[in-house]
Amino acid sequence: MKRVEVGITDAEDEELKRVSEGMGLSLSLEEMRRIKQYFVMKNREPTDVELQSIAQAWSEHCCYKSSKNVLEAFIFGIEAPQNIVVIKEDAGVLEFDEEHAYVLAFESHNHPSAIEPYGGAATGIGGIIRDVVCMGAQPVALVDPLFFGPLDYPDEKLPEEVKHPRFLFTGVVAGISDYGNRIGIPTCAGMIYFHEGYVGNCVVNVGCVGIMKKADLRRSMAKTGEVLVLVGGKTGRDGIHGVTFASVELTGEEEFRSAVQLGDPITKEPLMHAILDANEKRLISGMKDLGGGGLSCAVSEMCHAGGCGAEIHLERVKLKEEGLSAWEIWVSESQERFLITTEPDKVDELLEIFEKWDVDATVIGTATNGEENTPQIRIFHEGEKVSELETDFLLSCPVYVRPREVRMKEREGLVEIEEPEEYNEILKLVLASPNIASRDFVIRQYDHEVRASTVLKPMQGRVGKETHGDAAVIKPLEESYKGIAITSDVNPSFCKLNPFWGAASAVDEVCRNLTSVGAVPHSFADCLNFGNPEKPDRMGEFYECCRGLGYMASSLGIPFVSGNVSFYNESAAMRESIPPTPTILGIGLCADVRECITVDVKDVGNFLYLIGETKEEFGGSEYYKLRRVEGGIVPRTNPEVLRRSMEALREAMGKGLIASCHDVSEGGLAVTVCEMVLGGDIGASIDIAGVTRNMRNDYTLFSESNTRWVVEVWSEEARRFEELMNTRGICIANIGETIGEKRVLMRDSDKKLVNLSLEEVRKAWIGKIG
Amino acid sequence: MNPTICILRIEGTNCELETFLAFRRLGASAEIVHLKQLIGAVKERERRNLRDYDLLVIPGGFSSGDYIRAGAILAARINGALGEEIAAFIQNGNPILGICNGFQVLVEMGLLPGFGAHEEREMQQAALTTNDSARFECRPTLIKHENRGNCVFTQGIEKGCIMKMPCAHAEGKFFVDERKRERYIQLLEDNDQIVFRYVDSDGTYASYPWNPNGSLYNIAGICNPEGTILGLMPHPERAFYAFMDSEWSRRSRERGKEKGNAYGDGKKIFESVLNYLRSR
Repeated sequence: MKRVEVGITDAEDEELKRVSEGMGLSLSLEEMRRIKQYFVMKNREPTDVELQSIAQAWSEHCCYKSSKNVLEAFIFGIEAPQNIVVIKEDAGVLEFDEEHAYVLAFESHNHPSAIEPYGGAATGIGGIIRDVVCMGAQPVALVDPLFFGPLDYPDEKLPEEVKHPRFLFTGVVAGISDYGNRIGIPTCAGMIYFHEGYVGNCVVNVGCVGIMKKADLRRSMAKTGEVLVLVGGKTGRDGIHGVTFASVELTGEEEFRSAVQLGDPITKEPLMHAILDANEKRLISGMKDLGGGGLSCAVSEMCHAGGCGAEIHLERVKLKEEGLSAWEIWVSESQERFLITTEPDKVDELLEIFEKWDVDATVIGTATNGEENTPQIRIFHEGEKVSELETDFLLSCPVYVRPREVRMKEREGLVEIEEPEEYNEILKLVLASPNIASRDFVIRQYDHEVRASTVLKPMQGRVGKETHGDAAVIKPLEESYKGIAITSDVNPSFCKLNPFWGAASAVDEVCRNLTSVGAVPHSFADCLNFGNPEKPDRMGEFYECCRGLGYMASSLGIPFVSGNVSFYNESAAMRESIPPTPTILGIGLCADVRECITVDVKDVGNFLYLIGETKEEFGGSEYYKLRRVEGGIVPRTNPEVLRRSMEALREAMGKGLIASCHDVSEGGLAVTVCEMVLGGDIGASIDIAGVTRNMRNDYTLFSESNTRWVVEVWSEEARRFEELMNTRGICIANIGETIGEKRVLMRDSDKKLVNLSLEEVRKAWIGKIG
Repeated sequence: MNPTICILRIEGTNCELETFLAFRRLGASAEIVHLKQLIGAVKERERRNLRDYDLLVIPGGFSSGDYIRAGAILAARINGALGEEIAAFIQNGNPILGICNGFQVLVEMGLLPGFGAHEEREMQQAALTTNDSARFECRPTLIKHENRGNCVFTQGIEKGCIMKMPCAHAEGKFFVDERKRERYIQLLEDNDQIVFRYVDSDGTYASYPWNPNGSLYNIAGICNPEGTILGLMPHPERAFYAFMDSEWSRRSRERGKEKGNAYGDGKKIFESVLNYLRSR
């Protein structure tokens, strides 16, 4: 007997709850009642396969039931001429040049990484690469923003079921390194952020950028009469209920390990080649990667998009082990698989290509429309019908307008702290703080240069003296000098205090980073990581963050093109949610990669300028954290000022006035200058007297106000630079010059503040997170 | 005659495209060939014969996943299925280049250092083992060209020339059994088999991070006694153009308008071997 029925049409509420729980459906009572009603109408009991299919399709992960209305209000629908396919698919597709498009995808892999960091992070990369490949694109870059609890978190404070941040951090980095390096796509951007709020639930986001000919674009859509082919890895019990597991709070229980998939880059790598090969030969009509929900989601979403149904034969699916029941085959999230649709007369040629690459490919069914008005998906297992569902019902996911409550944790005004007497020590401490110190030892574990197209690397500067770059730049095409600049950012400490301005600051910072290298910001992807949306304060944070993102992006006219929402990022053991984490992946375009600007100062005797206004905005700042005080407002931003500043700065770059450029973020002006001089291994003498009026020196040095950059201007171009900025109405301050002596000197007119050798600065910055 | 280049790949190879492009940019007729095509495990029209190529390249990557010692699986597969063809290929004086994983494969195959009959006939005389840092290391390296003219891949490069190209590997430490160490280094020197050694920015042999893996004698690349087989850990194909270099932006201003013609140090290796093949 392959067909297993589950009696729910007579069930009371308690029984319905038990069914949802017992089968691992993670459906609410309300949702179970709706399913019951449907089958009462059909006058039959559902099968296990049917209930599992619905649970996948209605999971938060697959259908965005809590977030959809908010996303539609703020994030979706930003029109831009570069949009080709945005929001509708797993990845956004945008214009690169006349003939080519670039593809952008961004996702979270938080829960799996919190349970099994190595495998979780690795499969995160696998999944995001599939999202890009299934559009028909060649992946060219990976991005990994990571968020953990403090590495020195005391063991005695850690609940038993929570894994130590250091274990998670090491495992995630190793997973990315082992999988990303093998797959042969450079990991060239990302971020690492530490905050107590991630102790119970780390956040692992992964993005991928691809390039393609526009003519190779494929949609995730099936049409009547087409053949459905499952390609890639075999199907097993790994990754069962990944999506439903991602749609509840973490309990820390090891039973969820089975929800973490196993990655295999050496299956994926030829699979990717085979797919791109077959697509170029026009043998693929549509495709979709098998991610959350496995076959269940891929088949139903492709059919629904094409307005057809399907007939599937599960016994044809190649298995890792015998004895999987029908529903397990149907919802397994085993990695490295794609669903391809093709025309019947192309099947043989298609299968031949996969054979050549030693990759399994199996015809598992056909797209049908049948005689019915509403298309159905019929699933057979060894001849027996185990499921028959209308796609309309299956994909009629509930949408919730969850109650929300906005609790503003921000407190205005400055906190009384004493001005430091000794600036050398305080600067060294700021440089060594976990969110500022060098990430060199992590970045170097990722192959960021495979494909030989990484023109600006994540670490920039003199060999052996490299510093953090603002954005990486990829030259994706052999025959063109056009480049793609890539960066990702968010400041969760800002978002926690003020979700609206925190999110707005993330957009500001991403734009600053892209502008630093000389790129024009072109598109965003968002990975929205939040707590349990059923709790009104969490929902309030989500709502405010989305509003902030939408405000900035729509004012700037830069579209959000893809991304995902990850809720339930909180663990019962820690009794708290992660800080709101709307990570932004920003893409900019560079007309000629050989014109790009790097962070490291280039020569002695050049002038240093600060662009933008410095304000007393210390909420969530690294300086306040170091001084162990809370309070202050998070930095505000004005999209109009940002736009004008970016344009003026790019104009100065285009005229050849700028030698190096770095945006001002965590740690403020002082840290920015240090990072620039470290990369160039050239000293600098700074006078902050012209930066602010009546502001304390420590505030001027460490403020994290938005929309600011430090630029090194070629010595003979200072006048042209000043004139240009003045005509464009941009606030600048001459803050000093680069000097022959390898020292960092900072002063306020006659008052000496900092006097450190470059080696002392480097030693502090290389710090302790390794 | 235009040299024909066979760029060998199997599952897990991942630097084949940029290696292919390096040769194509220099006008050579390069082809990416799957091992299956050479051993006949494909349809007739897809088959290739090693005899038809002038140069064999084993590019970087993680052949077969490298889940055991790096390069071991591909080495065993080549030796098993293609041993005679390879021997004949080398016998005819055709060069072989192994970059990164390719170097690991050549060492595992016993082709490097390849001391030959006067040494004990053991398959493998050296190893490329786990980096001293125990981590994958992706970073620019400076390597000094030390060959006195034996190696056909560097005949166009001046001795003592310091070149810059990135490395990216977890197992790149050149290693020889302690008892043989002194003798082997002497042999490598005597036979003019040492091609590249890691140095610092002053040109001095230095330790980590300049020597990214802790390699014995700072060895970054060696050739066989005949000079026709070269293996190196750094990636010349990632240093073909100037804009691939990690410090290009520090020089971009002087270069000015000529930027389009600027090349990196890696190009010289491809050029040298093509010159060798063309003059043969």
